[in-house]
Amino acid sequence: MSDISENSSQRRTFLGIILGAIGAVIAGAFSWPLFRFLSPIKKSGEAGQVKIPRQQVQVGGAHFFSFQGRPAVLLQPQAGEFVALSAVCTHLGCIVKWVGDKQEFLCPCHAGRFSPAGQVLGGPPPEPLNTYTVAVDGDDILIS
Amino acid sequence: MKILHSLYGLIVLILFSLLLTGSLAVAAEETVCIQCHGGLDGHLGEPVAQWRTSVHAANGISCHDCHGGDPTDFEMAMSPERGFIGVPEYAGVPDFCGRCHVGVKEDYLASAHGQALEVGGPNCVTCHENHAIQLASIDLINENTCSMCHDYERAARVKNEISSTEASLTKLEASVAALHRVGIDTQRLKEELFASRNAFRRLFHTVNIEKIKSQTAQFDQDLSETKATISDYENRLGQRKLIGGVFVALLVLGGIVALLIRRTYQNKE
Amino acid sequence: MNLAKEAMDWLDRRLGVSDLIHSNMGGYLLPRNINIWYTLGAVLMAMFGLQFLTGIVLLVYYVPHTEKAFASVTMIMNEVPYGWLLRYLHVVGSNLIMVFLLLHLLSVLFMGSYKRPRELTWLSGFGLLNLGFAFCLTGYLLPWSQLSFWATTVATDAAGAIPVVGDYLVAFLRGGPSVGEATLGRFFALHVMGLPMAFLGLVGFHLFCVRRIGISSPPFGEDYQPTALTQHFHHEEHPGGVPFHPNYTIKDLSMVFFALAALVAITFYAPWLFIPLDALDPADPFTTPEHIKPEWYFLWAYQTLKIFPSELLGLASQGAAMGFLAILPFLDRSPERRPGKRPIFVALYLLGILLFVGLSIWGHYS
Repeated sequence: MSDISENSSQRRTFLGIILGAIGAVIAGAFSWPLFRFLSPIKKSGEAGQVKIPRQQVQVGGAHFFSFQGRPAVLLQPQAGEFVALSAVCTHLGCIVKWVGDKQEFLCPCHAGRFSPAGQVLGGPPPEPLNTYTVAVDGDDILIS
Repeated sequence: MKILHSLYGLIVLILFSLLLTGSLAVAAEETVCIQCHGGLDGHLGEPVAQWRTSVHAANGISCHDCHGGDPTDFEMAMSPERGFIGVPEYAGVPDFCGRCHVGVKEDYLASAHGQALEVGGPNCVTCHENHAIQLASIDLINENTCSMCHDYERAARVKNEISSTEASLTKLEASVAALHRVGIDTQRLKEELFASRNAFRRLFHTVNIEKIKSQTAQFDQDLSETKATISDYENRLGQRKLIGGVFVALLVLGGIVALLIRRTYQNKE
Repeated sequence: MNLAKEAMDWLDRRLGVSDLIHSNMGGYLLPRNINIWYTLGAVLMAMFGLQFLTGIVLLVYYVPHTEKAFASVTMIMNEVPYGWLLRYLHVVGSNLIMVFLLLHLLSVLFMGSYKRPRELTWLSGFGLLNLGFAFCLTGYLLPWSQLSFWATTVATDAAGAIPVVGDYLVAFLRGGPSVGEATLGRFFALHVMGLPMAFLGLVGFHLFCVRRIGISSPPFGEDYQPTALTQHFHHEEHPGGVPFHPNYTIKDLSMVFFALAALVAITFYAPWLFIPLDALDPADPFTTPEHIKPEWYFLWAYQTLKIFPSELLGLASQGAAMGFLAILPFLDRSPERRPGKRPIFVALYLLGILLFVGLSIWGHYS
């Protein structure tokens, strides 16, 4: 009698391990699609260039746009000269504002100031703004 | 009959409620053309029944889309004032059909067929029929039709030349439909194929065997790209099924193991 | 190991968990002749759990707007990694749930488990079945396909047959004179919030009833005796029965595995079973597709509406049938549960199934 029950208990442990393994494999294999589903999707537009019509940005003005999924800004400090910068303040990630009167950027969060070239003029930002490559293509500006 | 009645009642009710909100364009079935001609005998009534079987009817192209006129007004339906055209002259048929089938008309008019139009050469309806127009297929080129005017031999050579490309077009269309059925977004593929098919059908209407021969190669190459995209999808679907099979097997195995564990308890119960 | 034991002891000293676990697991005894149909509850719980999971993740990309809904579903199916898998699991899962709900209903009916004192268990279960129908009805509008649009139009239109308030009721259900953005908005809110909340509450009550009253013995075998009805609350005990855990939970688990295998098999090999052709085209309010049919679990209702000379009669007969089922335990009050001793009931039961199947097939081919 005790032999039978010991036998069946061993058998049960063995089967239980197999069942646990199967369950773990299935759960693991199912969480992969779930993880991939929720991972950020690469959109074709995000890696490439952005094209902006020239008339969108005045001389001394600024045009904000989205570049690679992040806010960016295009300036025309002098006629025919274009600068593209990241619009994300290097201090804590607020979006800088363009102050046309002073021809500089002001971060509204902690009053960081940047020059039109992205250099820090004052305030807490530790680094200059990121700059992007700009090319003029007829009536369009290409940022990459 | 009662069942049919109440079904029709339901449909009419839905249609009517849409009409009331003024949002439904005049449906093909409702036009005064069909209401009147549908009940006529002889050659005035025949076109309605023929048209019902056609590819035009299936795509919602109704009488007035070709013949003009006003499909909502009994009095003025056939008034030239409302653009009614009626039956075109024999030589006017290519222009009649060519208002929509622009590309084919161009190639046809430039072809030996089109050049012979004034002296009784074949026009569109010679091969395609007038009201019972079917989806064009390669079988429209056959001995009966072609030998009405000339020897079939030349037509047979043209048919032979285009048959393999036609066949692969048909096959690809079926594959795309199958992909669409399982939820793949085939919009782009469909457009590509539609454009290729139209361009290829245009080419055929030149009935110029040398031209067909030289350009078919280009078509085959375009199609092979589409074919590659399709087989890419099909491979992916095949892989899915393989992985799905593994999952099903694992789940069934899990169920069986659980049942076996259950039995170890049953021995004791 | 020691840490786990310490944690357990800590909890036990405060909440008395070991007692709770024992009385609901190992010490919770089920009738010895309990059968496979009793696992349907666990299977349904697992399937509904999966619907919650897949539903929540589909919400990440779904956009409930008439202009964007179809495109967002197309995106889920084609661009989002494994979006097709999660959507198909959700679609196929919903259909399998309807199958299991109906089987659960049929087994409970056949074994007479709905009878006193389990009227409330039955009522809450019947409510859950109707919630299932509501989940399906609101769910298949969301992709905003031709099927979604026209099936919803026809389904809501049926309410117009009710005298006096019919027209207003149709407009109320749709949020306007015809199916549109307002309909999508309310169906979406119901599908992802209203119904799940109601479902959780009702399922909680259903399980509470099951546990509180005690599992009913299957009315089979020589030992079976109908329980004498008492005036006071009585928890049905099964001394000498099978422990719920692990003896029966493992059987529940194996059935859950098999149900999931069926789900995965259909998801991978034949998802189109539950996706009619009209579901592949975006909704077009100006073109009614030919032969629009409701989902299989609504075919019986669809056909009933068609065979009666007036829609009102059809609707009334549907209401009467559902109402009759709902209050069945209050009408059928004899304590006898053995099918062999209930010939009239069994005959009606079989006729009912035949009627359901027959109407559905008729509806499918008509």
